[in-house]
Amino acid sequence: MRRFGWSRILFNLLAWAIVFVVSFPLLWTIVTSLKPQTELFLIPPSLLPGEVTFEHYAKLLLETRFLAYFSNSVVVSVATTVLVVAVAVLGAHSLVRFAYPGRERLAQLVLFTYLLPSVVLIIPLYLLLVRMGIANTLFSLVVAYTTFALPFAVWLLRSFMAGIPQDLEAAAMVDGASRMGAFFDVILPQALPGIISTAVFTFILAWNEYLFALVLVNQDSSRTLTTGVITMLVTSFHIEWSMLMAASVMMSVPVIVVFAFLQKHLTRGFGAGAVKG
Amino acid sequence: MTKVTFERVHKAFGAFVALEELDLAIRSGEFVSLLGPSGCGKTTTLRMLAGLEQPTRGTISVGDRVVNELPPAERDLAMVFQSYALYPHMTVAQNIEYPLRKRGVARAVRREQVLRAAAQLQLEALLDRKPRQLSGGQQQRVALGRALVRNPAAFLLDEPLSNLDAKLRAHMRAELIELHQRIGKTMIYVTHDQLEAMTMSDRIAVLDQGRLQQFDTPLEIYNRPVSLFVAGFIGTPAMNLVKGTLKADGNRLVFDAGGLSLELPPALVRRDVLREGGIAVVLGVRPEDVLLATDGERATVKVVEPTGHESIVFFDLMDHTVVGRVGPDVRLAAGEPVGLTLNAAKLHVFAAEDGRRLNADLQPPATQAAPSLVA
Repeated sequence: MRRFGWSRILFNLLAWAIVFVVSFPLLWTIVTSLKPQTELFLIPPSLLPGEVTFEHYAKLLLETRFLAYFSNSVVVSVATTVLVVAVAVLGAHSLVRFAYPGRERLAQLVLFTYLLPSVVLIIPLYLLLVRMGIANTLFSLVVAYTTFALPFAVWLLRSFMAGIPQDLEAAAMVDGASRMGAFFDVILPQALPGIISTAVFTFILAWNEYLFALVLVNQDSSRTLTTGVITMLVTSFHIEWSMLMAASVMMSVPVIVVFAFLQKHLTRGFGAGAVKG
Repeated sequence: MTKVTFERVHKAFGAFVALEELDLAIRSGEFVSLLGPSGCGKTTTLRMLAGLEQPTRGTISVGDRVVNELPPAERDLAMVFQSYALYPHMTVAQNIEYPLRKRGVARAVRREQVLRAAAQLQLEALLDRKPRQLSGGQQQRVALGRALVRNPAAFLLDEPLSNLDAKLRAHMRAELIELHQRIGKTMIYVTHDQLEAMTMSDRIAVLDQGRLQQFDTPLEIYNRPVSLFVAGFIGTPAMNLVKGTLKADGNRLVFDAGGLSLELPPALVRRDVLREGGIAVVLGVRPEDVLLATDGERATVKVVEPTGHESIVFFDLMDHTVVGRVGPDVRLAAGEPVGLTLNAAKLHVFAAEDGRRLNADLQPPATQAAPSLVA
């Protein structure tokens, strides 16, 4: 007891202080979204709301286009995630398993594309999408997000795939599977933690993306949450703080849910006990 | 029951030749080991047979069917990997069942066959476990079970025992021999452990640097190694190899190596290899053919390594270190002078330049006198 006494208490205090500092903006967002309009700018500010109200949430859901933006965001994020994971899984597998000229160079190139600041790509990408006739659609956002999520996804999955013993695939093929069969039966389950990490990364990136959504979509019916909420609640003359906070809380919910469900997969060791030696 | 044939099979990875023109005919039901040091091409040979690598040229047949163009799934072979390659996300039962599932065997039949394979390998109690919950020996048995379950044409085993500890390895070795006797299937076993190859195989193919050195029964390989490499690779402790010159002197055959001069049986080597002025050779003697004899040539004991059932003794014989085996009751101490003779019936002579065997291999009569050691 004595050995762990004071230093342990101090260490815990410090840790909790850091947790509090980091989570304070989130707490403040939640508290503000629950306060009546009248309590917002009180001086001194109240840490806890005097009266808890859900009126901002109700107003957002019932009187604004919040749900339309929300569903747009879901469509864009899910579609991007599915597309990126599907392409990246196959790409990473190819980079790891097959020997062909320029394989290493290709892998490096993939990383280089990620190093390019995406902001310089906006205008060319916009012109390209216009020419393709898909500007101002949700699909244009899916394409745009895929272009910058894919390189990182391939890179991430490549390192996961490299950790899967080659013998597993060979064993499956000798056991009667085709190459694709072995891929689905053995490689995919082994790469699952990597696939989940990639999916979470892509989903969050697409969900929170603002710049491309702002530039590529100028039509209210195709707006996602990030741009939709800002155009709706923030004008040059007025900011709807309470509703903005409520919107922020509701925007965070899917991400938190996704994280909560997949967290154990993210941390679970993979390949353990697969092979010995 | 299936024979396996390699005809002029060649494999190169870029400029590196992994296997050079391999000809190998494995009989139906035979247990054949591919033996050699790392990088000799034995695993490449096995992987080509399994369909995991494509030969650069040559023909591989399983039974009467050329399998070169067939994907691994259609070759009807089962393989046990050095790493076991158990599917980590599947239970033991699912692992064993997998080959049957891939072949569309009905569920009820699958279940029955899994249970039968599990019973053969005493895995019944482990069927619901995941591979990571098993010990090395158990994992190895599951890998065997997965190979056994579907009654393949032949079994390919790629160093399946190398990850086990010595005691378990000896045990599994005996189990594998027993298994082969029971099911009588063709088995091709890759190993770098000559003891495994010697104890388990009907025949051994010794490979070095992508070349087949010798393909014969274990005893034949031990008693009549065709090259210096095979002679040095097979046997523990390794064969004593002494470089020197071999000269025909009238009817006598004399071997000279520094201060050491031996008169060898005249019929030991083929006469056609001998040259005027002698040829450079390497003389080989197995440790058990180095004999203690009071009237033998003088040598000194350098090191004694008792193993319990025998002692391995390093002698200094005219500045050459020679290893011998002596019985457990012979007490020798370092520095002790002894007399040595060599068993003339079992001497090996190899050409120094290319290592090929020069013995006439007309087995000399057992009564022949030991070579006289002349200093």
